[in-house]
Amino acid sequence: MKRKVNVMWTLLLASALTLSACGGAEEPAEEAGSEAGTQETGPADPYGKYEEPVTISIGMQVDPTDKDLPQGDTPLDNQYTRQIKEALNVDVEHAFTASAANMRQKISLAIASNDLPDALVVNAVELRQMVAAGQLADLTQIYERYASPEIKDIIDKTEGAALKSVTFDGKMYAIPGVQADADGVHIMWIRQDWLDKLKLEPPKTMEDLEKVARAFVEEDPDGNGTADTIGISGPQSGDGKMYANFLESKNNLYGFDAIFSAYDAFPGFWLDDGNGSPVYGSILPETKEALAGLRDLYSKGLIDPEMAVREASDEPVINGKSGIFFAPWWMGYGPLTNAVKNDAEANWQAYALPLNADGAFKPHAATPSTEFVVVRKGYEHPEVPMKMLNNLFKNEMENTFDPSKGGPGFYPLRVVFAPSDEIEFTNKAIKEVLAGAKTKEDYAEDRPYKLLPSDLENIKKIKQEPYDDWNIGTWTPDADWGAWTRAYSIMVGGNPLVETEMEGVKSLIYEQTPLMESRWVNLKKMEDEMFLKIVMGVAPIDTFDQFVEDWKRQGGDQITQEVAEAIKQ
Amino acid sequence: MIRDKTWGSRLTDIVLMVVLIGITLTCILPIWYTFALSLSSNSAAAAGQVWLWPVGFNFNAYTQILKDTQFFGSFWISVQRVVLGATLNFVVVLLMAYPLSRSSRQFRARGVLMWILVFCMLFNGGLIPLYLTVKGLGMLNSIWALVLVGGAQTLVFNIILTVNFFRNLPKELDEAALVDGAGPWYSLLRIYLPLAVPVLATVTLFSIVYHWNEFLYGLIFMTREQYYPLQTYIQQLVVSVDPATMSEDQYRRLSELSNRTLDAAKIFIAMLPIMVVYPFLQRYFIHGITLGSVKE
Amino acid sequence: MRIKSFEKHYYLMLLPGYLWLTVFTIVPMFGIVIAFQHFNPGKGVFGSEWAGLEHFKYMFVLKDTREVFFNTLIIAVLKIIAHLIVPLVFALMLNELRRIVVKRWIQTIVYLPHFLSWVILGGIVLDLFSYNGPVNQLGAMLGFKPTLFFAQAELFPWLVVGSDVWKEFGFNTIIYLAALTGINPALYEAAGMDGAGRWQSLWHITLPGIRTTAVLLAVLSLGNVLNAGFDQIFNLYNPLVYSTGDIIDTWVYRTGLLNLQYELATAVGLLKSLIGFILISVSYYLAYRLINYRIF
Repeated sequence: MKRKVNVMWTLLLASALTLSACGGAEEPAEEAGSEAGTQETGPADPYGKYEEPVTISIGMQVDPTDKDLPQGDTPLDNQYTRQIKEALNVDVEHAFTASAANMRQKISLAIASNDLPDALVVNAVELRQMVAAGQLADLTQIYERYASPEIKDIIDKTEGAALKSVTFDGKMYAIPGVQADADGVHIMWIRQDWLDKLKLEPPKTMEDLEKVARAFVEEDPDGNGTADTIGISGPQSGDGKMYANFLESKNNLYGFDAIFSAYDAFPGFWLDDGNGSPVYGSILPETKEALAGLRDLYSKGLIDPEMAVREASDEPVINGKSGIFFAPWWMGYGPLTNAVKNDAEANWQAYALPLNADGAFKPHAATPSTEFVVVRKGYEHPEVPMKMLNNLFKNEMENTFDPSKGGPGFYPLRVVFAPSDEIEFTNKAIKEVLAGAKTKEDYAEDRPYKLLPSDLENIKKIKQEPYDDWNIGTWTPDADWGAWTRAYSIMVGGNPLVETEMEGVKSLIYEQTPLMESRWVNLKKMEDEMFLKIVMGVAPIDTFDQFVEDWKRQGGDQITQEVAEAIKQ
Repeated sequence: MIRDKTWGSRLTDIVLMVVLIGITLTCILPIWYTFALSLSSNSAAAAGQVWLWPVGFNFNAYTQILKDTQFFGSFWISVQRVVLGATLNFVVVLLMAYPLSRSSRQFRARGVLMWILVFCMLFNGGLIPLYLTVKGLGMLNSIWALVLVGGAQTLVFNIILTVNFFRNLPKELDEAALVDGAGPWYSLLRIYLPLAVPVLATVTLFSIVYHWNEFLYGLIFMTREQYYPLQTYIQQLVVSVDPATMSEDQYRRLSELSNRTLDAAKIFIAMLPIMVVYPFLQRYFIHGITLGSVKE
Repeated sequence: MRIKSFEKHYYLMLLPGYLWLTVFTIVPMFGIVIAFQHFNPGKGVFGSEWAGLEHFKYMFVLKDTREVFFNTLIIAVLKIIAHLIVPLVFALMLNELRRIVVKRWIQTIVYLPHFLSWVILGGIVLDLFSYNGPVNQLGAMLGFKPTLFFAQAELFPWLVVGSDVWKEFGFNTIIYLAALTGINPALYEAAGMDGAGRWQSLWHITLPGIRTTAVLLAVLSLGNVLNAGFDQIFNLYNPLVYSTGDIIDTWVYRTGLLNLQYELATAVGLLKSLIGFILISVSYYLAYRLINYRIF
């Protein structure tokens, strides 16, 4: 059961428009910073409390099934909002709330009807749309003057990537969140217990992978006497993708990202052609080769025959029917908790495999920023959201908030500011502590790693000796499933990241160019359809060449030129 | 009908019976499936092991729902919406269908007025103007937005159905009313209304089903989840979210909240009222839709 | 027999309904102009630049547009035909059934799926036809190789039509059944005395007796030629079957929502409304010509 919408969406949302009379009236030019007593330039107090109460109305993600808040608290009155009132004298109001699934619709509606809340967390496409419609306040000055040193530090460490994603015509129109790099690296998760049972090694090359997958399919690894196991899981129908792309560059579950990179193919990414010009990865010969490889695996029945049609790809994983899938480090949060609850022996381990012809693991790398805090043009206190983010980060470092009284998602306008090496750092720290080389106190100064203290405290509850063995039998998840989920992700999912030498391949851009606004959907649709058909054997492999021509002709060439211009700037 | 007792005929009877019952069983399947899911353990449900019989039988989902105030809040909003929507639909359909069922000679403008209705049914300006209109009327977060916007979209079809029904009533009715000196209001309320019970029951059933099942307008016009009608609430449970658009942190929250067993129980409860209502309205309903569309 | 003084009462009766429709359907139609603009949400519908017919031209250049109009037509027409024939056959079978209690139960149950949404049913249909699902298992027993039904573009329209017929056939069955009960029993008795068997009675009495109903239903459904069923297809399709399964509504949904291409989406929506209006007009005159019946 999934994604559903009604007929009406079609005609209705699609054909959107607005009445300027009803929407936000003409607003004075921004350049705000009208806080009493501060000068227009020069640094300001990132945590300054207002003398008079200031109100901010926001759109917020609230999940109706989330019963995390203590009795009596509400999304508008909880430890976070009270702390904001206390520290900043800011009153938060909701212009609208919606669940994760409906947030995009609500935001589209707000943009199209020009009826925006004072501040909002949006994604890259929405940001671009709002900038084009002239709906946002210029935050260049605000960021300069108000952002706290820690946040600036995290943003600076992305080497301009975070700032680039929010800068249009030299002006900064949003505060970018920064996520850990690990979310963009897709590694191989494999049933170690099946490998052991069939006396196999983790597959290092594509040939090995084929061998292992064949054994998983044919040699009855689950021992139930029927051939009902899947070698390699594939993407699910609807939102499933065979590979992450430059717009959605991370967290692609059950795709083939690692297989593509084993062929040195990076479909969906904008690459350098070697002469400094951009080229779209999906139209390169390496991609054709990788597709041919996948097609071969599929035709031999080694990839889930139901890929792209299956409603939920996590089912066979949870069910103990799938042996291999590709996904980021955090799969404890994904299907593995249920998988282990179902079968305590299901020993899922992760590897940075398969390797390419040069014996290297060369994953594609994600953009650090996918969430952005924007401020409506004309809002009287455009610095308030920045201050709220400063306040959030400071208090997360100081552990002011008690997550058991409502998770951090209840903090208004929250975006993540994570050090880019958060997972790797935490992984190493846990190992040091388990080995007895260091103690929790040794890490007291590493405050930007906000969850580290609780990670270090919980680890021995759920991880038993030997401490250098990460197989499922050495864990005691029943002691604390919540802590296990995180620790198993960080250790088992984080180990390949820590132990493998890898250099990520970046996309030249992670944003849309102007022409993409009107043409990209159709090009992408053609690509997705064609590649799926090739892999699943519906279309011959050579239709790839036709696709490349069509792609170029139907706007791809023009878009490539736009990308070339964009990267020159 | 003649009851012949030949072997061939008896065989035909048996085959007929088996086929018909078989087809009928497939129609109950989805409800049974949802029910089985709601009584299963959550991990079995997530693993797709449940089919026709619960796996890991338990009542947890139902005891959890009992504590869910939001669920019952939404349930109550839906009940109110159905009552208001169906009542309004009933009154307006009756009032409009009667004059529009007069012949062009009795009511000259009827042709034009009818085509205007059809135009309203087919064309629309899109969602955003609708949103701005509702906002301009101060109806955001009001149950009236649900009742009036949704109602307007289904009104025309119901009127056409009822007009057809009225026009198929014997012409002598009108003449008799005229002879008695009855005015239009009298003949509407005293002559036509009692005769129109089947068709009005039909359009009322349509209206009830529509208002109960519709979720989109709840999503658009309600800015907070405590104002959502039940289907909007349910829709949020069954939509899946693309992890690529989220941070790992958000995904973590969501996966902790995911609970297919609980979702199935909520869906099952949401199906119940309709299942209880429609067999009772069926008798009228069959009559109404037939007379409304068929001229014998 | 027009009575002038009555007309003013007629208008009075119509007033509330037309007021309602004006506010919630006619007023928001100003949104249609967006199809002719370079729409900028910041400037609104009165401030945006005019684009003339640019979006319509782009629409006709796009290969997708032709494809989705074609798919819509194919699927909708197949559905219309199937929705006429299957219920007729089922009603005839049911009519032959002699156990009244069973008949009533079947009649009530078969249109239950009509009341359930595709959100719920979509998942169940996919489960049924999945690689290891019951259909493939049944096929394996008969010696067929398992197939991925929903990955095959050439099968998709048939699966869509088939599952839609399963969901909706109970509804039209009721209409046919009512028509069947309207046939004078004396005719059957007379036929029986003349020595006619079941089949002869069926052919010479039953079928002619419901001819009008069938024609009328066919004509009425013409207005649906461009509604191939968004909810259903959205729940069942995937990129592999876009080439045969993507319809106007799903395409407009993706274009408008994923890429916020309001103008193109509005343009396609408007074209759809226009064609729908023409088709309704055609069916109006067809019904008048063929069976001398005015639909409204």
